[in-house]
Amino acid sequence: MRTLLVASGKGGTGKTTVTAVLVALAARECRVAVADCDVEASNLPLALRATVTTREPFAGPPQVVVDERRCRGCGACVRACPFDAMAIGPEGHAAVDPWLCESCGACVRACPADAIALVPQVAGALFVGECWAGPVVWGDLRPGEDLSGRLVALVREHAADLARRHDADLLLVDGPPGVGCPAIAAMVGVDAVLAVTEPTPAAVHDLRRLAGLAVQLRVPVAVVLNKVDLSPSGAEFVRAACAELGLALVAEVRFDAELPRLMEAVASGRTEPARLAAVTGVGGIHAVWAGLAPLVGAGS
Amino acid sequence: MHVAVASGKGGTGKTLVATNLAVHLQRTGRRVTLVDCDVDAPNAALFLDAPLSATPVTVAVPVVPPEGACPDSCTACRDACPFGALRVLGGRPVVFADLCHHCGLCTTACPAGVLRMQPVEVGRVHAGRTGDGLRLVVGTLEVGLTEAPAVVRAARRLGVSEASDVVVLDAPPGAACAVVATLHRADLAVLVTDATAFGLHDLRLMVELCREMEVPAVVALNRAGLGDVDVPAWCREEDLPLVGHLPFDRRVAACYADGALLLDAFPPARLWFAEIAAAVERHGASRGAEVPA
Repeated sequence: MRTLLVASGKGGTGKTTVTAVLVALAARECRVAVADCDVEASNLPLALRATVTTREPFAGPPQVVVDERRCRGCGACVRACPFDAMAIGPEGHAAVDPWLCESCGACVRACPADAIALVPQVAGALFVGECWAGPVVWGDLRPGEDLSGRLVALVREHAADLARRHDADLLLVDGPPGVGCPAIAAMVGVDAVLAVTEPTPAAVHDLRRLAGLAVQLRVPVAVVLNKVDLSPSGAEFVRAACAELGLALVAEVRFDAELPRLMEAVASGRTEPARLAAVTGVGGIHAVWAGLAPLVGAGS
Repeated sequence: MHVAVASGKGGTGKTLVATNLAVHLQRTGRRVTLVDCDVDAPNAALFLDAPLSATPVTVAVPVVPPEGACPDSCTACRDACPFGALRVLGGRPVVFADLCHHCGLCTTACPAGVLRMQPVEVGRVHAGRTGDGLRLVVGTLEVGLTEAPAVVRAARRLGVSEASDVVVLDAPPGAACAVVATLHRADLAVLVTDATAFGLHDLRLMVELCREMEVPAVVALNRAGLGDVDVPAWCREEDLPLVGHLPFDRRVAACYADGALLLDAFPPARLWFAEIAAAVERHGASRGAEVPA
């Protein structure tokens, strides 16, 4: 089984659209499994109309809770906290700012009144489900939680396991934007990255950063230039950047409002997701799979 | 007053709104600082002509003590680390920097006083000014590192190091820790969305986050006409002010692709930014908001 990550650096270049179309195209030639590793904004299940088979809670870092009946407002926790997350509130009790707290527990140990506890909390959920083309795994991180990288790693683990059990030839992974911890967790150990870019200075800037990460993680990168017709000079810029970075530019896709319309129709249930394979002539997006199939060793 | 431009979903137009809003406010007489908090993919500087100078952002990480410095069979530092970032191997601690939260509890726990923290560079902050007088601060995370929130916080600190009337924060996509660091104690969030099912899915998460963080939010609709969601109706239901919309237009996309500021290159868009700016001004007036120290 091969694992292909669809990534971008910059958000909104068309990762989820490309992934959904690739699922449709790949499913005609091999067995596929799918994972959405954008756990902060998981849109692929919408684009595939995936149904949930199982859902399990994702444990986040424990939460600091102050027992106000016991707290004497001595301020030991405020002094002990390395993250400036504790303060004595107007009522004279310790109060935690959950947005600064990193759950280290220094306050718990420092409290002479035994008034502070770390309480386990759920930070999201891991979903295993199905779509028309095969099994799908995704995660939803509760807004505001950290540890998105850990949930991404968990999604990857479950997806790889499920893909093997389904005897899948190809695991397609929709990645998060950026190059930070969730992007790293999504890229570690994949066979290839398909970077979706567009002819904008912002996307090229972020593609360079993504390519830098791929070099560190020793993963080969292929590029699809999406919305190529929006700027001829920008497109030239992308081609030059790919040549300079030694990235294979496997396809160029024209902007066609038909594609977002179709994605919308699938998401709202008016169109069957499998139709994404039938209309892939739109903007030339079918070329992505043709250019990619040799890289992921499928279709041969 | 601190105004965060956020969205959940990537590519909805955060940087487009943040840059044009900042320039609009500056040109209408406000002293404005724009802070690019999308430290994974910082793009605001591409649209603004401001010479920038960089300073490193560091976090403190423990350094392995010299051989023989640790007391025999001591594991105090490992036991004190809440994040599993220290192991003891061959009588000395080994540091897993990726897991370190820089709290320093290990050094406090070290009975021999031989474990010390040392600064490690995790990114950079850049600052400069455009010809219009707009101050620009950009945070950039070192590729391959996971310290985005530390770089966001450093950029925000630099953003308030000089006085301004409005600080515009260009948030990263998503809804996790780097977004939290951007929204923390902001006075207002401008949530940029499109009218697709995908945009709405991610907008809901952002609205939930803003409510939990007690940051008032308004919605700005981009690429109106592309997508089926009735965003105005949804905003009414959720009691969220909708501050105008920008219709989908290939010329807007082409303008962005050429790295131009929409305010200058596509005059019909000016109205949209003026509407968003008016919402910001109204909000500031209603709160009597000052720039927090």
